[in-house]
Amino acid sequence: MQNSKLQFKIQNAAIFLVVCCLLFVAYSVFAAETIFETKNSQIQVGDTLEVGFFLNTENEDINAVEGKIVFPEKLLELKEIKDGNSIINFWIERPKTKNGEIPFSGIIPGGYLGNKGLIFSVVFQSTQEGRGSIEIGNIQVLLNDGKGTEANITISNLQFVISKQAPASQPAVVERKDTDLPEVFKPIVTSDPAVFGGKYFLVFATQDKGSGIDHYEVREGKGSFILAESPYLLQNQNLDKEIAVKAVDKSGNERVITLPPQRSLPWYQNYWVWAIIMLGIVVIYVIWRIKLKMKSEK
Amino acid sequence: MRKKIYILAVFILSALFIGGEFFDFLPAKIFTKNLGGQVVFAAGTATVQTTIKITVCGNNIKETEEQCDGSDLGGASCSSRGFSGGTLSCKGSCEFNTSGCTTNGGGGGGGGYVSSPVITSIIFEGRAYPLTKVVVLKDGQIAVSTIAGPDARFEVNLTELATGDYTFAVYGEDGKGLRSSLFTFPIYISSGATTKVSGIFIAPTIAIDKSEVKRGDNIAIFGQSAPQSEITIAVNSEEEFFVKTPADKDGVYLYNFDTTPLDMGQHFTKSKTALNGEISSFSKAIGFLVGTKNVASVLPTKCPAKTDLNGDCRVNLVDFSITAYWYKRSSPPASIDLNGDGKIDLIDFSIMAFYWTG
Repeated sequence: MQNSKLQFKIQNAAIFLVVCCLLFVAYSVFAAETIFETKNSQIQVGDTLEVGFFLNTENEDINAVEGKIVFPEKLLELKEIKDGNSIINFWIERPKTKNGEIPFSGIIPGGYLGNKGLIFSVVFQSTQEGRGSIEIGNIQVLLNDGKGTEANITISNLQFVISKQAPASQPAVVERKDTDLPEVFKPIVTSDPAVFGGKYFLVFATQDKGSGIDHYEVREGKGSFILAESPYLLQNQNLDKEIAVKAVDKSGNERVITLPPQRSLPWYQNYWVWAIIMLGIVVIYVIWRIKLKMKSEK
Repeated sequence: MRKKIYILAVFILSALFIGGEFFDFLPAKIFTKNLGGQVVFAAGTATVQTTIKITVCGNNIKETEEQCDGSDLGGASCSSRGFSGGTLSCKGSCEFNTSGCTTNGGGGGGGGYVSSPVITSIIFEGRAYPLTKVVVLKDGQIAVSTIAGPDARFEVNLTELATGDYTFAVYGEDGKGLRSSLFTFPIYISSGATTKVSGIFIAPTIAIDKSEVKRGDNIAIFGQSAPQSEITIAVNSEEEFFVKTPADKDGVYLYNFDTTPLDMGQHFTKSKTALNGEISSFSKAIGFLVGTKNVASVLPTKCPAKTDLNGDCRVNLVDFSITAYWYKRSSPPASIDLNGDGKIDLIDFSIMAFYWTG
């Protein structure tokens, strides 16, 4: 009798545990998903391999993505990173290669909800035979909920094979000449006590729908352009010189935006004022000389 | 026997619960309660789908609202347009070009195609709030703004666009300067094509008069939307309540919600609007507490609640750059550390992206 009661209790406990486990499982239904896409994952040595890195948000509204792509440097040489048509509007860390890794981080103000949003694509060239994979690491995708809640995410890596037996294929990369300039943008001069010790700095950002932005350059006054990143600490804190910002895309197309001096020069430092004064003096002198001559003739 | 029935019952209940979470086939809990003439429904989770229409002029496919597109005349001809003969063609604006059509059989003319300059543009059309500002962001930065008409309708055109993928966002500012949530959509722009995005319906603005309300008292939920539209207000905690109220001729709505059916604790409210068969998405949700006393809320201003780091009433590239300066640096200022965890990382940027205004 006691044995049967004990058995009954054990059975109940087991059922309770099973139900609890199932309940936990029930809450992880949908998750965002990262996708690698390429036209050919079997290539020969010397071939190019273009891999697109996409995000499927699976009905979640997301606004921030961070992670890194890891690739085998012994098998693949990175040739180009294309972020021109990325869903990321502002890069916190623009994708750049570092020792076989491509870290990246950026935001999408207002959020993105879709099943194939391009983060960026990478062009590799195979260097030797072998099998390898292109993987995602440290991926973090945050919801557009005002709290930075992390979305569930599933990842899938890309397997590839480099061998002589791979079918000879057309070049994976179709060369398309990018002749479009980067988008028009509006640099802003501003200051904040928390940045650069309260000094004036310049902020700027734009996109290039072709090959993507390569770098920015800034020129203050009549000097030469120098490489710059936003936020950029202005050398001329008097703000009395013209500021030019040049956005250069990866095909070499340039868009230059010029800001007039934010403050006017004191009159004695303005060459135009002196020119007008000198001109005025010359005009008065000439008139005086003419009048003198007329008097003497009379 | 009793044991087997008991085990079976537990299994069935578990399957029903889990299945309901996966497939949502559990019947919605519904009860009605009359509250001074208003009907309150408590229902299960509802999904709202809003539809915007996108047409592209220049893709050689005649779409709705286009007369023609390139070579696609939709089966029309000069004869069908009331002419006696000739050749019908299509202008770059996707309207018929009848210059090649003839009347009274006066000889067959050639197709008088009027070549239009190549224009790549996008048109946004929809409803916001009457006589108020509508702003369009292109890739997170302000591209253009306009003023909606007295019927809350707006139309705005962006030109000189390069071919490629863009993220556009639209928001409105109501009569008190309150901003709606961003209505965001990704679009591919083709060279030489005019893309039209219609059916945009900006969600209502929403505010409440109390941050804490004594259970059983009313809480005022108000805001602005399109004139004469029907506002649906959702109040939810564990159960969800829906009420409807009309917006007046200026699009303003106000509803005094009786908190009697609400449990003590935290709740959220949001609203959406419907007019002539069009439905907006839900507004941002606002939280309030049902407790033992009434506490008046600080009415929202047009300046973002937080993330406006430089105090210019906007959350844009400047605030992003200030935050970027402190990215991965130690001891960031508290005003920049938006989630208060002592560091600037992706979470702070995500919070900023939510409050973005451009």
